[in-house]
Amino acid sequence: MAMSRDDIMTQVRETLVDALGVDDDEVTEEATLTGDLGAESIDFLDIVFRLEKSFNIKIPRGELFPDDILNNPEYVENGKMTSTGMEKLKKAMPHADFGDFEDDPDINKMPDLFTVKTIVNYIESKLAAA
Amino acid sequence: MRFVLVDRILELVPGQSIVTEKALTLAEEYLGDHFPSFPVMPGVLMVEAMVQSAAWLVRASTDFAASIIVLQQARNISYKSFLPPGQILTVSVQAKNITRATSEFVGQGRTGERQVVKARFTLTHSNLAEQDPTLADVDRRVIQHQRELFELLGGSTLARSTATAREPVR
Amino acid sequence: MRWFWIDKFVQFEPRKHARAVKNVSQAEEHLHDHFPGYPVMPASLIIEGMAQTAGILVGHARDFKENVILAKVQQATFHGVARPGDQLVYDAHLERIDENGASIRGCVTRDDQPFAEIDIIFSHVGENQSELDLPDKNFVFDRQFDVLVGGYQLDKLAPQTGQQP
Repeated sequence: MAMSRDDIMTQVRETLVDALGVDDDEVTEEATLTGDLGAESIDFLDIVFRLEKSFNIKIPRGELFPDDILNNPEYVENGKMTSTGMEKLKKAMPHADFGDFEDDPDINKMPDLFTVKTIVNYIESKLAAA
Repeated sequence: MRFVLVDRILELVPGQSIVTEKALTLAEEYLGDHFPSFPVMPGVLMVEAMVQSAAWLVRASTDFAASIIVLQQARNISYKSFLPPGQILTVSVQAKNITRATSEFVGQGRTGERQVVKARFTLTHSNLAEQDPTLADVDRRVIQHQRELFELLGGSTLARSTATAREPVR
Repeated sequence: MRWFWIDKFVQFEPRKHARAVKNVSQAEEHLHDHFPGYPVMPASLIIEGMAQTAGILVGHARDFKENVILAKVQQATFHGVARPGDQLVYDAHLERIDENGASIRGCVTRDDQPFAEIDIIFSHVGENQSELDLPDKNFVFDRQFDVLVGGYQLDKLAPQTGQQP
């Protein structure tokens, strides 16, 4: 199944438009799921289920959105992610862009890691490995 | 149970938006089944409250032109929180579009500051006489009943005070 | 008004599919408010019928051990109105289930004709609802529910494939 990155982006966009009720043009690669597109926690579950169906893949729990690391209070100190937590998160999310978050690991900025690009990267690597 | 999921109309801008309240009470018998040890407002009744609120907006905007107003489609109904008895659901509905036969809305429900539900939905409006002219009387009776209920919910008072606003939607 | 929006199960394939029916009757008081002189089953209660059919399929798949909570209705689309004397048939197909929740694709028919499509996501842990104090017990599938499930006789409907439902 040789899908181009553009094709993947088109299908991811369709999925997010359906799941979040946003307009096509709001779904850019840089758009954050929670900040820009208004996704809430139940939407993450909906998005995972829809992506599985749409791309005919299985997304094991935590592979796209590693909630066990994200919600673990052990990795948070004074409102910032600890270096251990950061290492674990980077390993769990090779598809995400950590530049800004590494500079300022403010826990409130964590949702910004989840951009449309994060999803497209993940799907690309998943399909390549298949 | 009376199937009225709006207790009071708080704000109404014809053609645009409506805000209503529904107070939840343990006296509502279905709560005994939902759930026996944890009574909370069923999510679909929150949807019904949004649908009924939107329907009042349509009626106020079209001078009660249609007797039968029903939900045709809902998308992305999202539940965020539970609503126990003793609390009030405040429903806000914004119209994206109201025509003679259909209307589209975005709705939210909250209790105090806590958001409880949100949804996008479409209603269809019709008169029975369109399919069967002998039912024109039934249409009249349904509409008359709705006008009386609208009065009871405070809608007429609000509509009178925004009467300067706009022409009814045709 | 009782909060049961399906009357009986007629097919039950564990972890896969359930079919239940709902009779619409003049005896239902709420119909006479919706609307007076022309009773029509409210669409919201049809969504609930699918949620109950699907919720039991989802709960059964994990032995009713967790709360199965209606989290999101992806879409509910209706092609007509249901009237007293109609029988609605709910078909719930389990698409995906894990410890977080489940996804259901549902179809409603009347006289074998498409009547509605309703797709639902259930949460197992009250995903979005963590702000509220959830009781530390199963409030969805409790002892009263056991009586109901007994009445639905799901075990008798499950195909005899040698596997216990």
